[in-house]
Amino acid sequence: MWMANSRPSYGARRLALGCFALLLAALFLLPGQIQGLLQYLDGPVGHVVRVPLEAIASIDFGIADGWQQYVALQGVREENQQLRKEIEWLRGQNSQLRESAAATERLTALLQFKEQALPTMVAAQVIGRDATNRYRAIILNKGESDGIKPDMGVITPAGVVGRVVKTTGASSVVLLVTDPNNAIAGLIQRTRDEGIVEGTQQGMAQLKYIPLLSTLRDGDRVVTSGLVGGFPRGLAVGTITRIDKQEGALFQSAELMPEVDVGHVEEVLVIQTSYGQSTKAGVGADLLGKPSP
Amino acid sequence: MKFLFYLILVLLLVPLQTTLLPHLSVWDIKPDSGLVAAAFVGLLAGELEGLLVGLAIGWVLNLFSAGELWLSLLTNGGVGLLAGFLGRQVSHVTSISLGVGLLLVSLASGLLAAMNFKHLDVSQMGWMVESIVLPQACFDAVVGAGLYWLLSQRFDVSRLRTE
Repeated sequence: MWMANSRPSYGARRLALGCFALLLAALFLLPGQIQGLLQYLDGPVGHVVRVPLEAIASIDFGIADGWQQYVALQGVREENQQLRKEIEWLRGQNSQLRESAAATERLTALLQFKEQALPTMVAAQVIGRDATNRYRAIILNKGESDGIKPDMGVITPAGVVGRVVKTTGASSVVLLVTDPNNAIAGLIQRTRDEGIVEGTQQGMAQLKYIPLLSTLRDGDRVVTSGLVGGFPRGLAVGTITRIDKQEGALFQSAELMPEVDVGHVEEVLVIQTSYGQSTKAGVGADLLGKPSP
Repeated sequence: MKFLFYLILVLLLVPLQTTLLPHLSVWDIKPDSGLVAAAFVGLLAGELEGLLVGLAIGWVLNLFSAGELWLSLLTNGGVGLLAGFLGRQVSHVTSISLGVGLLLVSLASGLLAAMNFKHLDVSQMGWMVESIVLPQACFDAVVGAGLYWLLSQRFDVSRLRTE
C-alpha cells in the first residue's frame, strides 16, 4: 500500500505543527484577510464540487420520486376526495377574493398610489442540507453566477423559507426561518404590530419584541413587514400558536408554526429584487400571482 | 496518486455529508464524516497530511454550511493533526480507542461551536449540548469505530499506518 511507504520525518512533524500554529495565528489576527483570500477560491471550487453534488442529488431525487409515485400511494383515494372538497371551497373563496381585489384596484386608482412592480425571482432546487448539525440550512443549486447574493430572501408560494447567507459560483446556502441565528422583520397581519421573527432551538419560530399593548391571539397570522432584509411586505411567515407574556418584561413574544414545512422543501424562489425595485416580473412572479383554476 | 485520492475524498465528502447522510440521521443528527475522515487520514498518513487534508475538508465543507470558516478549519485541521500525533504515540490503535478519541474530539469541537453561538442562555446551551453536541459525538464515535473495525478486518491496519 502506498501509505506504508510514506514515513513522515521529524521535520514533517515540526512543519505540521508550525503550519497549524501559523494558521491559528492568522485566523485570530487577520480573520477578514484570510476569509477574503479564500473567497477568491470559493467560486472555482464551488463549480467543481457542484458536479458530484448535483449527480448524487439527482439520484437521490430519482429514488425519492420513485418512492412517492409508486410505493407511497396508500390512502391517495381518500386524500384525493378530501382535496376535491377543498378545491370546491377554495373556488368559492377565490371568487370572493377576486371581488375584493377588484375593489382594492378601484380604491388604489382612486387614491393614486404608485404602481409597484412585482419582485424578480430565480427558481432553484434544494440539493442538500447544512454540512453540520448546528445550523438549520439548505443548499441550493444556484449561486453567484445566477445572480444570487447573500441576504436575499428565499420563499415558496406558501411563504418564507429563509435567507441566503453564503454563496459560491454555483451554489448558495440558505439559513432557514427556524434557525435561531436568523432574524426577519415580521408583522402580525390582524393587529399590524411589528416584531422580529427568529428560529428556536426546537425547530419552530418565534416573534419577539411585540409591544405589550398588542391584542394578539392564537391563530393570528404573521407576515413579513418589508422594512429590512430581502423580503417584500406581506409574505406569510407563520401562525401564532402560543403567546408568552412575562411579568415585568418590556415586550411579549409568541411562538409561531412556520407556514412552510422547511424540513421537506424541494424547490424555492430566491427574491432578487423586492417590490418596487424591478420593472419586470420574473420567473417566480407567476407562481405567486397566478390565481388557482 | 495520493493527491488524487485525497481530492476524490474531499469531493465525495460534500454530497455524502449534505445529501446522503441527512437520510441516515437519527433524531435529526447526522455524523460528521469530515471529522472522521480527517482523523483517519491523520492516523494512517501522519500529522502533516492529516492537517492538510483536514484543512481542505474543513474549507470545502464550510462552503456548504452556514457555519464559521475558522471553526471548521480549526476543528477538522486540528483533528487531522491530533490523530497524526496520537497515531504515533499509541502503539496499537483499536476501534474502541479510536471511538473514544473521536468522541472526545467531537465533543470538544461541538462545545467550541456552541460557545461561539451568540445570544445563547444557559438553558439553551444545555439543550444544545444535550440534543446536538452529545448525540453527534456519540454518532461520530460509533461511525469512526465501525469504519476502523471494518478496515482492520479487511487490511492489516498496522501496515497502513506510517509507523
